[in-house]
Amino acid sequence: MSNEVFFDRKEVSQLTIKNRISVFTGGFGSGKTETALNYALYLHSCGEAVTVVDLDLINPYFRVRVVRENLESKGIKVISPDGKLAGADVPALPAAIYSIFEGKGHAVIDVGGDDIGATALGRFKEQLNVVPRKIFFVVNTCRLHTREQSGIIKMMRGVERTSRLQVNALICNTNLGRRTDANIILQGYKVITGVAEQLGLPVAFIAARRELADQLGCPGAPVLPMDIFMKPPWEDFIGL
Amino acid sequence: MTRLLMKGNEAIGEAAVRAGCRYFFGYPITPQSELTHYLSRRLPEVGGLYLQAESEVASINMVYGAAGAGARVMTASSGPGISLMQEGLSFMAGAELPCVVVNLMRGGPGLGNIGPSQADYAQATKGGGHGDYHMIVLAPNSVQEIMDHTRRAFDLADQYRNPVMVMADGIMAQMMEPVDLEEDGQIQLPAKPWAATGTAYHEGRNVINSCFVIPEEMEVVNLRLEKKYQQMRQSEQLCDGYLLEDAEIVLVAFGTASRLCRSVVDKARQRGIPAGLIRPITLWPFPYDFIGEIAGTFKCMLAVEMNMGQMQEDVQLAVKGRIPVYHYGRLGGMVPVARDILEEVIKLYGGGAER
Repeated sequence: MSNEVFFDRKEVSQLTIKNRISVFTGGFGSGKTETALNYALYLHSCGEAVTVVDLDLINPYFRVRVVRENLESKGIKVISPDGKLAGADVPALPAAIYSIFEGKGHAVIDVGGDDIGATALGRFKEQLNVVPRKIFFVVNTCRLHTREQSGIIKMMRGVERTSRLQVNALICNTNLGRRTDANIILQGYKVITGVAEQLGLPVAFIAARRELADQLGCPGAPVLPMDIFMKPPWEDFIGL
Repeated sequence: MTRLLMKGNEAIGEAAVRAGCRYFFGYPITPQSELTHYLSRRLPEVGGLYLQAESEVASINMVYGAAGAGARVMTASSGPGISLMQEGLSFMAGAELPCVVVNLMRGGPGLGNIGPSQADYAQATKGGGHGDYHMIVLAPNSVQEIMDHTRRAFDLADQYRNPVMVMADGIMAQMMEPVDLEEDGQIQLPAKPWAATGTAYHEGRNVINSCFVIPEEMEVVNLRLEKKYQQMRQSEQLCDGYLLEDAEIVLVAFGTASRLCRSVVDKARQRGIPAGLIRPITLWPFPYDFIGEIAGTFKCMLAVEMNMGQMQEDVQLAVKGRIPVYHYGRLGGMVPVARDILEEVIKLYGGGAER
């Protein structure tokens, strides 16, 4: 598949008909939130009605709710703890989450990290088993616990155990932040392909910073060009 | 050498393990919880012990016990928990026990909130606990530095037989940056002939104690401790300077605020303002010597902190009234915005900041 276009409009519409809900799981710091946001924006740019659900009860920093306004201004619906609870450190989920199982359009769920973060997902096991959905497992092979096949599988099994759901596909999000280069991504993709073959699962796509996306050649999986949302405050130069 | 993407919390934990720390006693608190999570998995892998105590008071006293027995040991918390540990820290300073304490600051006072803050500066550097004591306080500003300084903290603690604090905030703890991990080699830990390891291991009785009921004896201990603190002041002051050579307005900031200020200095320079940055890495001992020597060449200084001017006082002490020292701060879990700091710099440089 060409890596110039991630999926074309037709493929996206088929994808979202086949899957009403995309769930992004993975280890702490695997890049679930960035990947989920970019995936949601991509579906939105193809004309799909998209809702993003913030299910991250684990990490109080760098989560979907900090970019809520940005997403809503683009026309993407965001379901996350509101108002006073947005900055609270409490395991509370908004009741509005149930709307994604009934309404139309596509929902993207950003789950908290590791097996612990996936516990909250288990709450929706019944609902998720009766709608067409895909559970993605995001992997960054530059993270300590998911550098090798055995670590990746152990992490994935942990997520499956606590969520009581089965992963349908892997996503390669190998990166070293600003120090990422094409070679690092391709090395990571190789490791993740090995895991996918062993488990009999597909690699759904490779997530890569926009400036690197067209340097990957034809890696064997579609490439989702990523814009980075979760920036530290010193990289935020608005008005400077 | 392996290059990995790590969170600050993970870097603290991994650095501790690589420094030979095999004991952690603590209690989870946001934004530190990922550190306890990390060590609860990592320490058993290397034959170490992770123990979640019933409280921070219990944690620090377990640290006291392990340190007294000669172990490399660590605890970590955020403001509310660190406050509970102050008695234990004073006891450890009095009994001359090495340990590493990590404070990942959050908004306060009181229970406050989980937002990033630097408002525990005074507590860490001016005592916190009771009695005449000090501890070295290290303030890293990147995940790599968190790794390096946490590891170094264990060496400093053993060298001076004193608690050492690594202090950062929620942003440092939670953000991810690339880190170079050296190959995990054998560590040679220093001998601790003073530790209470039993008479099979040392001659005579080794007593770990901070109770000196005779005032004459307590004073001798106080003077001995002071000698040690004086040595720390002479040898351990550490700071980083950026574009100071021709600087007229110099920002002073540590940790998260220093990362913001570095970009502010760059932006100010683009506008023709000769700005610079001094970043204290040791908050105690504060880099009085460096700032004292160089301050006369500037027109004014601006302390940028996520508190109401706690470090500003130390800058003023270093400057000794020769130039004005201003303050810009955000509070309560709010992070300064680079644009606002730049506006403050423009305002000060444009008018009223003259000598």
